Amino acid sequence: MYKKSIIASLMALAATSSFAATSCGKVEIADMNWNSASLMANIDKFILTNGYGCDAELIPGDTMPTSTSMAEKGQPDIAPELWTNAVEALINRGVEDGTLSVAGKSLSDGGEEGFWVPKYMVDENPELATISGIKKYAKDFPSSEDPSVSAFYGCPAGWACQITGGNLFKAMNLEEAGFELIDPGSSAGLSGSLSRAYEREESWFGYYWAPTAILGKYDMVKVDFESGVDAEHYKGCISEESCMDPQVTMFPPSPVYTVTTANFKKSNPEAYQYTTQRSLTNDQMNMLLAWMEDNQADGQYAAENFMFTYPEIWSKWVNKDVKAKIDNALDSL
Amino acid sequence: MIDSSWLTEFPDMSRRELLAIRQSLDSAYRTFSRDYGESIENFFDPLLYFLVWFENLLIETPWWLVLAAIVGLVYAATRSWKLCSGVLAAFLAIGYFGMWEDTMRTLSIITVCTILSICIGIPIGILMARSDRAKSIITPMLDIMQTMPAFVYLIPVVMLLGIGRIPGVIAVVIYAIPPVIRLTNLGIRLVNQETLEAATAYGATPTQRLFGVQIPLAMPTIMAGINQTIMMALAMVVVASMIGVKGLGQPVLKSITNQYFTLGLLNGLAIVALAIIFDRVSQSYAKRAQKHLEGTENG
Amino acid sequence: MDNTRETLIEIEGLYQIFGPDAKNVLPKVKAGASKEEILAETGHTIGLQDINLSVKRGEIFVIMGLSGSGKSTLIRHFNRLIDPTAGKIKVEGDDIMELPVKELTTFRRHKMAMVFQHFGLMPHRCVLDNVGYGLLIKGEKRAEWKPKAVNWLETVGLGGYEDQYPSQLSGGQQQRVGLARALCTDAEILLMDEAFSALDPLIRSEMQEQLIDLQENLQKTIIFITHDLDEALRLGDRIAVLKDGKLVQVGTPVDIVLKPEDDYVRAFAKDVNRARALTVQTIMTADTSKLEGISAKDVRDIFPADRGHAFVFNNNAYQGVLTKQQLDDMQDDDLLEKVLIKVPTVRRTNLLQDVIPLSLNTRFDLPVVNKQGELKGRVEASKLADVLSP
Repeated sequence: MYKKSIIASLMALAATSSFAATSCGKVEIADMNWNSASLMANIDKFILTNGYGCDAELIPGDTMPTSTSMAEKGQPDIAPELWTNAVEALINRGVEDGTLSVAGKSLSDGGEEGFWVPKYMVDENPELATISGIKKYAKDFPSSEDPSVSAFYGCPAGWACQITGGNLFKAMNLEEAGFELIDPGSSAGLSGSLSRAYEREESWFGYYWAPTAILGKYDMVKVDFESGVDAEHYKGCISEESCMDPQVTMFPPSPVYTVTTANFKKSNPEAYQYTTQRSLTNDQMNMLLAWMEDNQADGQYAAENFMFTYPEIWSKWVNKDVKAKIDNALDSL
Repeated sequence: MIDSSWLTEFPDMSRRELLAIRQSLDSAYRTFSRDYGESIENFFDPLLYFLVWFENLLIETPWWLVLAAIVGLVYAATRSWKLCSGVLAAFLAIGYFGMWEDTMRTLSIITVCTILSICIGIPIGILMARSDRAKSIITPMLDIMQTMPAFVYLIPVVMLLGIGRIPGVIAVVIYAIPPVIRLTNLGIRLVNQETLEAATAYGATPTQRLFGVQIPLAMPTIMAGINQTIMMALAMVVVASMIGVKGLGQPVLKSITNQYFTLGLLNGLAIVALAIIFDRVSQSYAKRAQKHLEGTENG
Repeated sequence: MDNTRETLIEIEGLYQIFGPDAKNVLPKVKAGASKEEILAETGHTIGLQDINLSVKRGEIFVIMGLSGSGKSTLIRHFNRLIDPTAGKIKVEGDDIMELPVKELTTFRRHKMAMVFQHFGLMPHRCVLDNVGYGLLIKGEKRAEWKPKAVNWLETVGLGGYEDQYPSQLSGGQQQRVGLARALCTDAEILLMDEAFSALDPLIRSEMQEQLIDLQENLQKTIIFITHDLDEALRLGDRIAVLKDGKLVQVGTPVDIVLKPEDDYVRAFAKDVNRARALTVQTIMTADTSKLEGISAKDVRDIFPADRGHAFVFNNNAYQGVLTKQQLDDMQDDDLLEKVLIKVPTVRRTNLLQDVIPLSLNTRFDLPVVNKQGELKGRVEASKLADVLSP
């Protein structure tokens, strides 16, 4: 019994390593510190390892440092979920210089940003669904540290949305309405403040984005700015720190791309082909994130679960040969 | 295959069981935070009011008045004009580079954290010194507090108390309080046995022994602990800013994520300046207060 | 020492066993198991074993032993710095083992003061506050005790040092502060734990002398621990020799030197330079009978019948020695001063080595007087010779 199993595992080991040797080589994938990106990264790792024989490795990352490093140093090879608004200039320059390649949309709908209030508040007072209602009832959102002002939870320091959110805060004259822009310091701080308020059915008003587990889990209403989307102005002014005269506009959908280094594209055309195909809708992602949250899964566990449960989704991203190899790997998992 | 797999792989818990444990603990914590969060928050209200008041005091008082008060305090503690001029220069530079308000915020929260750490830490240290059992219980707790990554307890605290100053203070105090506890304990345990016996022999009560002999003689060690506590509190400034504590940590955080080197460096230097000021002032105060311990004639 | 003095402290059946389960080991120790057996069997160490002794009011009681003999442990039982495993410690008849904490504190404040080997001063208090410490913790106001503390500081020879800190003083000065602190409380009993052991030999003998001088006036009950037999002999009215936690012998200095009860004490006593270690006190005959008068007729009737010579005093001042022969040859109106033989006086504290030449120079006894010149006894040459010849 022992012997058999050891021999079997040895053989399996030999099999995988010979795969790696034949084609793809070493691939570094940026594992961003939020769940959807981490899930994407782990899906990529699984497929690239088992389907394309890559020696895939996850590298911790974050939007700004990862994209800079990819453009300047050619490392890591793949950023599976890059919110390019934050680093648009950098990516454009990278593409022009021939160091980066935008492979495809990793979230086909794009990311959704906005200012949100809990649904139970809107149920009680429908006017809170619009920005004018929020300003009118500013007193309903007292800051926990200083109840004389109202709290608006902004975007964590250093994120691109700190600039856009800050400009919109100005454009909507929220300060005159009595709001204070609170910097939550980190995404953990922001989501912590939201879930604390939601669990206790307290007031909360702030920036958030989808797809996220938080928005999958908590019933939140996106506040209507009553302005429509002015993509031009958004791009030209709202997303610039130097925006002198910000005007109100809803957030346009945020493009979320899979970005790779040009080097990776060149040396691994097959694997690159896969990265152009790999894409999820927001509904799919929200569902996956909610599953992750409920099951307290990490990216790897969630990716494995995804591979098992949704072959109809991922089989569209790869050709038959690769699918067979992946099925094989799934069976031996 | 299955029955021998423990040889090659660690026989761990099944995912299902582990998941059940994690889920039930998490939901228990959520229920706890829903049920008691408010009353716990209310408990901290006085501290919050004080924090807000103190911060506003530092920010709203004209800068030259604050500066004069700080330099005055430094002089009162150290009697050293050299140190005073250093402090003055540091604060002028901080103000000139536009970091006055953030520095005042950090100063305020560090001051409060230090005071809290001392108020909580010294009695715990005394307890530890008096009872070996207490020591054996508290020591591993201190080890945990110093090594546990801050975010592990930060997020539950945020769930309970929201973001802002109070969870920030709690995080900083948890991280910074161990030295003052450890060194109070050590200082008291190191008090000369005969001196303590002398006090007992002359009929000193335990309280008289504590305040008349043990604490005064342990003071140099306790001061070293307080000094370390302040340093560690300052080191936590950046981490605390990740849960919305205003001050020098936020620009640092911003510059880390945006790669604004100069901004990061300036604010980092301001933190360093505060650290050096706190360090030098507390050390030279301690030295001055303990002058009698140095033999001047025969040693 | 005269036996008329009453017993002040009594220790009965005192045992001290170190270890976690001392109470249960005690029966074995009482049954006579040896130190080594107990250690091997139970891991407990015997500190003190069946100590019985009594200290009389006003005496200097020296407990002598080598390091490890348990002497410092023993002295810490007198004021319960250490609690015994078993036994009674009676002070004025009351067992202090039965005192509740509060009364124990009161007892320590009023009855006993202690002087420590390494002084045990408070480094953060000035000399004056150290001296007044015993009064300070009783709650007395500084203004009330300050004159007293200053006075004692002057008595031990440290006037003017009030505002210094202990670290600014030499070892000898620090121990004087320790002594002043003990005396300042007016406690009747003084515990001195190797009080002079840490000092230079010269300073040590100075301090010993000072203690003897003070004791003459104060008449405190002093329990003095030392490892130095010379010191024990010099200071002690009685000496207890401690070995391995057991009392080997209790007796007067002369007993210890001249009649050692076992080999251990004998080995000690053998090396003693008796002339330097023993004082007049140890060999003097306490006899205060003297002749008071100017002329022969004043003293003819009171001349002791059994003696060949006697000491003559006038107005309490020593005049000289008068022999029976001289008196018989004199007329009633003859003045005594014309015939008196000038034999020098000695003090109780004089070492025998200082007395030997005086005794050799005369065929008479030497008179022993105190500081005020009052007669306290006499030194007989024969006794001196007895003591000095081993």
